[in-house]
Amino acid sequence: MNEPPTPPRLAEQLLAFLCPSTIADEVVGDLHEEFAGVARHKGKVAARAWYTVQTLRLVTHALRARARQHHVPDPHAQRPGDSIMRSLLTDTRQAFRLLLKQPALAALVVLTLSLGLGANAAIFKVIDALVLHPFTLPDIERLTLIAETGPEFSLDLQETVSPANFADWKKQTDVFEQLAAFDWWEVNLASREEAERVSGFRVTANFFDALGVRPALGRTFTAAEETVGNHHRVVISHDLWQRRFSGDPAILGQTILVDAVPHEIVGITPAGFSFPLGSDIWSPLALTSEQAQARSSRYLTVIGRLRPGKSVAAAHAQVTVVGERLAQQYPEHNKEHGAKVMTLAAGMRDQGLGPIVLLWQASAAFVLLIACANIANLLLARGAERHRELAVRAALGASRFRMMRELLVESLVLACAAVPAALAFAWFGIRLIRINLPPRLVRFVQGWENLDVDLRLMFFTLALAAATAIVFGLLPALRASRPALVDALKDGSRGATVGRNRQWIRRALVVGQVALALPLLVASTLSAMGAQRFLHGAQGYEPRGLLTMNAELPLAVYEKPESRRQFVENVLAKLREMPGVEGVGIVNVLPTSGGNAGRAITVEGAPPVDPANPPYVDYRTVTADLLETMRIPVLRGRGFTPADSEAGQPVVIVSQSLATKHFGETDPLGKRIKLGDSPWLTVVGVGGDVIHNWFGRRNAPTAYRPYVQAPSLGLCFVIRGNGDLASLTRPAKAAVRSVDPSLAVFLLMPMQEALAERTIGLQYVAAIMAVFGAIALVLAVVGVYSLMAFMVTQRTHEIGVRIALGATRRNVVSLTVRQSATMALWGVAIGLVLSFGVGRTLGSLLMGVISGDLRVSLGLAVILLGAAAAAAYIPARRATSIDPMVALRQ
Amino acid sequence: MADVYLGEFEQIVLLAILRLGDEAYAIPVRDEIARRTGRAVARGALYTALERLETKGCLRSRMSDPRPERGGRSRRYYSVSASGIAALRSARAALLALWKGVESQLEGR
Repeated sequence: MNEPPTPPRLAEQLLAFLCPSTIADEVVGDLHEEFAGVARHKGKVAARAWYTVQTLRLVTHALRARARQHHVPDPHAQRPGDSIMRSLLTDTRQAFRLLLKQPALAALVVLTLSLGLGANAAIFKVIDALVLHPFTLPDIERLTLIAETGPEFSLDLQETVSPANFADWKKQTDVFEQLAAFDWWEVNLASREEAERVSGFRVTANFFDALGVRPALGRTFTAAEETVGNHHRVVISHDLWQRRFSGDPAILGQTILVDAVPHEIVGITPAGFSFPLGSDIWSPLALTSEQAQARSSRYLTVIGRLRPGKSVAAAHAQVTVVGERLAQQYPEHNKEHGAKVMTLAAGMRDQGLGPIVLLWQASAAFVLLIACANIANLLLARGAERHRELAVRAALGASRFRMMRELLVESLVLACAAVPAALAFAWFGIRLIRINLPPRLVRFVQGWENLDVDLRLMFFTLALAAATAIVFGLLPALRASRPALVDALKDGSRGATVGRNRQWIRRALVVGQVALALPLLVASTLSAMGAQRFLHGAQGYEPRGLLTMNAELPLAVYEKPESRRQFVENVLAKLREMPGVEGVGIVNVLPTSGGNAGRAITVEGAPPVDPANPPYVDYRTVTADLLETMRIPVLRGRGFTPADSEAGQPVVIVSQSLATKHFGETDPLGKRIKLGDSPWLTVVGVGGDVIHNWFGRRNAPTAYRPYVQAPSLGLCFVIRGNGDLASLTRPAKAAVRSVDPSLAVFLLMPMQEALAERTIGLQYVAAIMAVFGAIALVLAVVGVYSLMAFMVTQRTHEIGVRIALGATRRNVVSLTVRQSATMALWGVAIGLVLSFGVGRTLGSLLMGVISGDLRVSLGLAVILLGAAAAAAYIPARRATSIDPMVALRQ
Repeated sequence: MADVYLGEFEQIVLLAILRLGDEAYAIPVRDEIARRTGRAVARGALYTALERLETKGCLRSRMSDPRPERGGRSRRYYSVSASGIAALRSARAALLALWKGVESQLEGR
């Protein structure tokens, strides 16, 4: 749908915030109204610029209106008791004047600081939007997630509740206004033009009430619809309604085919609602009485709306008691099982995300610290230059407090000046983060839409800037406000001789910068290496040149295995005929796909295993030429052939890892295994291992069965093309639809794209860390450079004397470079220790995909040392050109 | 009520509102002034004048229902009060009295 353009949100929020409430509607509304006209005539971009300019022009009006409302008297009028405010104001003005006198220094500080602040702001927004406030639901603080606890739920899972326990919770608790449950549901949606795969949820009738969401059109479900036979109804999302039904309100009451079964559309959700996760369709959760009484199959997710005034803690206490009672009552199912209550935001959080964003925030904080060290150094240098001025003032009776305050106010002014640029950097960073996520995945990231610069972020950045000002301003202020009076005044015109002590602090700051920069560099390099390996490393098959697509046969139509075999045969025949196709295969589960299929394995003749806890292997049913198509090597024995028919001997190919794990040294060929409740299967081949999933399933034991002997409903087509894969997508889709037009073809994409999507998280980690690493490197090098440049200037006299006494160019250069190398060495030594810790943290965060590597750390240490030496070389060269006569006359 | 003195811009604003009748909120007022006088009025200046005229009792205002084209915000409609009319009248009378007899001097110069 073509939405009318909207004014820039930030500008509008700013204006609404500045205007007193009495005039906000008039002023903001007028501008909004006129915006549409401007957008029509001049285009959206020009209109947004226009809007921003108008907003800025209205700022004074808004502030004046505010002042009139509060009867603020003339700010210049003297009032008792405001002398501190007044002198602070004077300090601020003074600070501005001083900074404007040294625009280069001010610009450098502001730029450095805005980089650091911007990085922190961008990451803060990611945390705020994705982790802290991922949902925009009414009364979100009253919404909770209730989960079962038990030995099998080591992670915080959501789908943990059995129907019978849910029913008992409902009866035995009174802290919840509503207790609702839902279950994942993915379906084929048939319609006039094209079938589509949509994800949805089966929900209890009170699901929408519990969330406090009313349908935009129609109704939600009634309790009577929770019964089997009466449940063929759906509520669809606003998005799906627009996408497939062009927003036609007459769709209410009509029936659509969901997995080949007619369902009546009873309601449409409000725009933007897709709870729990990118959901497009909801249907009543109707359980047979047998299913409803199941206590040990745990698959429901339960949410609750607290009664007004009840806290999460109170709910947790009550639910825990009920859980314990149920454990005693049904020991055979509920032994060691309990229950817990969390806020919805905490409960539905993506478990992997938290640690990663914390890593980012920590890295961003490192960057800011490095920036602070840089600025502190610059200010210390400046403090040295103002040494005499301050000494004179102290001698005339200025208090130390007063001077310190003045210097701190200067820092604050600098920090605040960096805020707009920081917000611009943050905006740019957030943009980059947003546009790089494939649109298909956006709906699965809760809160992604909230990623934007807003008022909260502005306040955060301002507060952080103020805190930062104290961090980088305090040390220079303390030092500068305690001038060694006599020395400074005595010192004639030569400028301050810098005390040993002060030099020491400055060097320590540079050492600290280098020490912080190294672990950041190590972390970013390790992440980049990991991401590289994921994408381009050996996968066990050849992803290049493979096109993949998925389809799910509805059970209602393909109940008989024969019909599935027929379908597969027909589609394969059509696909093979397509020009540019080298090979075609079908497998039930593709590598890199989110799902997996497993079966318990029994090896003939092996000692019996614990029946309650049998070993599982990954289970694949494949058409005869799948291994060949994917280039999965057959290491021993043979691959499948058309001779492995439905009536033939049941056969299986096992992966190398399965052979090693279950057969050890013996040759598996000719041996027999059982997979789940299959007949005995004879091993005819051993195949190479593949990486199914880089995070958990690398080279997992896998068994392959011929599709004709075990036809599955889920189908992944693998097509090897010898040219442009994009040109194959249309005919491939058409081939499937020519056999069964009601079938949805989904996830049609090149295998490499699927791999990239699967590893998108790590790519984000790598990219963001790379940015931080680069900033850290630049800041550290600038830090070394500016300190060395300063020192050379300070020592002009000394160097002049040395040259006059016969020091060579080489002596002078090595004097300077040696100094910087010493600092860098110290920094690198500390940094190496820190890197070791960072490597280990990364390793545990990313489940062993990345591990610390000493060679990487050492290599980067050398690079950092080289950069530091190079940074010192420029001032060193300048030192050699000092003319002793000029230097001595100074 | 004491006599209210109106500045030139205030007169312009009041006249524009009178001309617009029921449809007088800030946007059309600004347009009307631009159309009739060729003068582009700064947004902030207009709002300030409107507020001042309301404080002086020359204008009354009411808020409309929230409107979607304004992002759900209301319009503030203005109408000239009786004392506003009176003030306009006296301003006009004062000007006309002063103009009398000098038109011929200004014509043709």
